[in-house]
Amino acid sequence: MKKLEEYRDDLERCVKCGTCKTGCPSYTVAQREWASARGRVSLIKAHLDGDVDFSEKYLRQIKECTLCGACSSACPNEVPVPSIIMAARAEQVEAEGLPTGAAFVMKRILDSKRLGPLALKAASKLQGIVFKDAGGMEAMEQSGLVSRFQIPYMPIGCKDRLVPGLAKTFFMDTRLVKNLKKEHGKGARSGVKVAFFAGCAINYLLPRIGEASLKLLNEAGAVVIVPSAQVCCGMPALSLGDTDTAKSLALKNLEAFEAVEADFITTSCATCTRALKDGFMAALTDDPSLTERVLSFSAKVRDITELLANEFNIIPRLKGADSKTVTYHDPCHLGRGEGGIRDEPRELIEKSGHAFREMKHPCGCCGLGGGVSFTNYDLSMEIMRSKAENIKDTGADILATACPGCMIQIKDGLNRFEVKADVKHVVELF
Amino acid sequence: MNYATITETDMEALRAIVGEENASFSIEERLCYAYDATNRDYMPDGVLFPATAAEISEVFKLANARPFPVIARGAGSGFTGGSVPVDGGVVLSTERMNRIIEIDTENMTALVEPGVVNGDLQTAVEAEGLFYPPDPSSLKFSTIGGNIAECAGGPRAVKYGVTRDYVLGLEVVLPTGEIIQTGVKTMKGVVGYDLTRLIVGSEGTLGVVTRATLKLVALPETVKTMLAVFPSLYAAASSVNDILLSSPLPSTLEIIDGACIRAIRDFSGGKALPEAEALLLIEVDGTDETVLSGTETVRRICVEGGATEVRIAAGKREARELWQARRAISPSLKKIKPDKLNEDVVVPRSNIPALIEGIQDIAKERGVIIASFGHAGDGNIHVNIMIDSSDPDEDKRGQEAVRDVFELTLKLGGTISGEHGVGTAKAPYLGMELSADVIALMRRVKESFDPNGILNPGKIFCSAPIEG
Ligand SMILES: Cc1cc2nc3c(=O)[nH]c(=O)nc-3n(C[C@H](O)[C@H](O)[C@H](O)COP(=O)(O)OP(=O)(O)OC[C@H]3O[C@@H](n4cnc5c(N)ncnc54)[C@H](O)[C@@H]3O)c2cc1C
Repeated sequence: MKKLEEYRDDLERCVKCGTCKTGCPSYTVAQREWASARGRVSLIKAHLDGDVDFSEKYLRQIKECTLCGACSSACPNEVPVPSIIMAARAEQVEAEGLPTGAAFVMKRILDSKRLGPLALKAASKLQGIVFKDAGGMEAMEQSGLVSRFQIPYMPIGCKDRLVPGLAKTFFMDTRLVKNLKKEHGKGARSGVKVAFFAGCAINYLLPRIGEASLKLLNEAGAVVIVPSAQVCCGMPALSLGDTDTAKSLALKNLEAFEAVEADFITTSCATCTRALKDGFMAALTDDPSLTERVLSFSAKVRDITELLANEFNIIPRLKGADSKTVTYHDPCHLGRGEGGIRDEPRELIEKSGHAFREMKHPCGCCGLGGGVSFTNYDLSMEIMRSKAENIKDTGADILATACPGCMIQIKDGLNRFEVKADVKHVVELF
Repeated sequence: MNYATITETDMEALRAIVGEENASFSIEERLCYAYDATNRDYMPDGVLFPATAAEISEVFKLANARPFPVIARGAGSGFTGGSVPVDGGVVLSTERMNRIIEIDTENMTALVEPGVVNGDLQTAVEAEGLFYPPDPSSLKFSTIGGNIAECAGGPRAVKYGVTRDYVLGLEVVLPTGEIIQTGVKTMKGVVGYDLTRLIVGSEGTLGVVTRATLKLVALPETVKTMLAVFPSLYAAASSVNDILLSSPLPSTLEIIDGACIRAIRDFSGGKALPEAEALLLIEVDGTDETVLSGTETVRRICVEGGATEVRIAAGKREARELWQARRAISPSLKKIKPDKLNEDVVVPRSNIPALIEGIQDIAKERGVIIASFGHAGDGNIHVNIMIDSSDPDEDKRGQEAVRDVFELTLKLGGTISGEHGVGTAKAPYLGMELSADVIALMRRVKESFDPNGILNPGKIFCSAPIEG
C-alpha cells in the first residue's frame, strides 16, 4: 500500500478552489468545511506536518468520508482524495491498531479460508434471537430485519435500522453453485469461460442476486465457474485502514482465480468490481514480483452489467402488462469518472422489458460507503435522504442498481423516508 | 492596528451568542477556514456559524469592545484573499444561513440568505421559469453573499450584466452593530445615497450581508452553445468585437488560449475542449427563431475571422461538458507551474486584440508563461502569470510581469480588476488606478462604517503600496 507520506505531492496539487464541495455528500449534509475534500486535504497536510495528531476531531474527519469519489472526479487537478483518506486511515491503524470489534470481523470472519466460515453459518440459524422481521411493511416485497435491541459494538444493530437477514443458505452453498461444480467435474462445455466472484454481501445476505447473475450468464451461453477458494474482496478492510487483511485477501483471491483460467472474471457487486479492478493493485504494490500477475488478473475483470452488455447478447424482453417503471442508481464504485460504467446498466434495463426513467443526480452517493454507515449512521441516512426524494420524484416502481451494498442502504432509506419502490439488482429485472 | 488576542472569556461570550455547537476554536476547524482559492493560509482564532443578523450584531459589539477582527466568509472561493483572516480574529461563516426565503414569481424577485449557493438559486428559480443571470465559473459552490461582496461576474455578463445589476436591496449588519436595510423591493428607487451599490463589491469591508432581494428575469426559451477553433489567439480576439456588433448579442463570449487548453485537456473532464491555439466559446439565447439566426451569424463571422472549425453543441449534455471544462480551467493551470498570479483585467472591447498582443510581448520579455482566458465579450481577460515562486528570480520576473500587465491595461483605458476584487492580492497596486484623493475618500468611507477597523482588516487598502 502507498503510505500517507507518499501522497505529499498529490496533497500539494490541491489549489483550494472549492470545486470538490459540489456533490460531496458529507459536505452537503454537514455544511462545514472539514467535511469537504478541500478541508480534509488541509487537515491531512497539517497532520503530516505534525500540527494535528490523531485527535478525536481528526479521526472523525477522515472517517466520515464515504469515499464516493465525487470530489476526485470533479477535481481539475485530479487529487486522489479517496486513496489519500484510505492511506490516512491505514496510517492510524498501523499506529494505534484496529478497534477490537473491527479486528475480530476482519481477521476471523473476512479473512477466513473461504467465503462462509462456520461462525456465520451458526449466526444464520441464531439470528431470530437478535432480529425480528420488520413489521408493518407489507408494501415491501421482502421485508428485511430490524434488531430487537441495541447490540454492543455493532452499530448495525441500531434500532429501526432495516438490515437483510443472513441467508438461510449462503450463495456458495446453494444448489445452483454446487451443481455447477459437478458439471465442471464432468468436463465443461466449450464457450467463453466466466469466473464469478460472489463477494460477501451476495454470499451472506443476498444470494438471490448471485443466482440471477448465473442464470443470465447461462442464458447468454457463458461457461460459468465459481471458484470455491475465493474470499472477501478486501474493500471493507481497505476502507477501514486494515492493509494486512486487504493484502492477505487479495493474494488468496488471486490464487483462487488464476487456478481456473477464465476468459473473464465478473461480479455483481460494484464494490467488488472496484476492488478487483484497482484495489488488489493498491493492496499489493509493495511486492513488485506480483505486479504482472495482478495486472493480468485485473485485465479480465468486468462488472456483470459491463460483461452482459458488451460481451454477450442478451435477448431483449418484450414490454408487457407486467412491465414496471424502473429508475437506476449509479453506484459510486461503478459509475464515477473516466471509464465509469454508466451506459451498460441502462442498456440492460432497456432490454429487461421494463420502462426506464432517469432520476435527478443518479450518481449521488447513497451514504453507505467508506464505513460511514457504521461510524455515523445518522449522517449516512441524511445523505440517503435526497436519494430517497429523487427516487420518489420519478414515481418508479423499482429502483435498480448494480451493488448489493447500495441496495441494502437504499432499502433501509426508502423504508425510513416512506418511499414505496422495490429495490433490485439490474440482473434481477429479467 | 493592534488587536486583542481572543481569550477564554471571549470564547465563552461568543459561544453564548451563537450556541456551543456553532462556535469552534479547535485547530482542526480553524485550519479549514484559513484559506480561500488564492491558496494562502492565515489561521483564524475561531470560527463562528451564526444563523441570524442579531447574532452577528452581538458578535460585532464584542469585537469592538475588545477589539478583534471579524471576517465574513461564504464558500472561500475568492481569488484575492477576501475571506482570509490576515490579522487573525474570528471568521463568520455563512454556511448555516443558506435558505432561499422567497421566490416572488409575480414581481420576479428572490429573497435569500447570504450562504445560498449561486447554482442552487439558479436551479430553484429556473424551476419557476425564471432566470438569475450572474454565473461566475464558481457558481456551483460560491455563495450569493460572496458574489455580492465581490460583485461577481461571469460569462453571461456580456448580455446580462454582473451581480450589481441584480441586487435590489440588502439587509446588512454594520460593523458597529446596527442592522440596516438598503435599497428597495421595486424596480427603481432614488431615496438617499445608493448604499446598496456601495455594499456590492465592497469585499466584506463595510458590513455583513444577511439578506438580499435579487432581481430575476424571464428564462430564455432556447440556448445554443457553440465552439469556434482559431489558429491564433490574436485571430480569435479580433473576431470578438465583430461578433458583439452583430445582432442578436450573444449571451456568452469566452476566449481560451492554447496554454489553457493544453492544461485542461490533461484532466479527464477537460477533453470536451479540442486541441487548438485559441477557442471562442459562445452562446446565443432567446426564442427559437432568434437563436437560429444568431448562431448562423456568429458562425459566419467566425469563419470570416479565420476560424478553422465552428461546432454547435448537439445537445444539453455536450453543452454541459463544454462548460464543465471551461469552469475547471483556472484551477487546472497548476499543471503548468506551481504558482499562479491570477489577474482579471478589463479593457474596452475594441482594445482586446491590443491587450492580447501586449500580454504576449510581456510574457516574452519577462520570460514567464502567461495563460489567458476569460470573458472576452466584456473585455475581461483572466491573465495568469505562471511561476514557481520558490525560485526567487522567477518570482521577481512574475511580479514585474504583473505590473507590466496592469500598466498596459490602464494605458488601454481599462481597469485592473473586473470581478475578483482587490483583497490582499491587488492591494499594493490600488494607487496605479485610483488617485490619492479617491483612495483618501474611500478610506474615509471605510472609517465611517467601521471606526475601529474590526471588519475584514488588511483588504483593499495597503500599507506598502506600489506607486502608479
Ligand atoms: C474555479 C473558480 C472560478 C471562478 N470564476 C469566477 C468568475 O467567473 N467570476 C467571478 O467574479 N469570480 C470568480 N471566481 C472567484 C470567486 O468565486 C468569487 O469571487 C465569489 O463571488 C466568491 O464567493 P464566496 O462565497 O466563495 O466568497 P468568499 O471567498 O468566502 O468571500 C469573498 C469575499 O466576500 C466577503 N463575504 C462573503 N460573504 C459575505 C457576506 N455575507 N457579507 C459581506 N461580505 C461577505 C468575504 O469577506 C470576502 O471578502 C472564481 C473562483 C474559482 C475558484
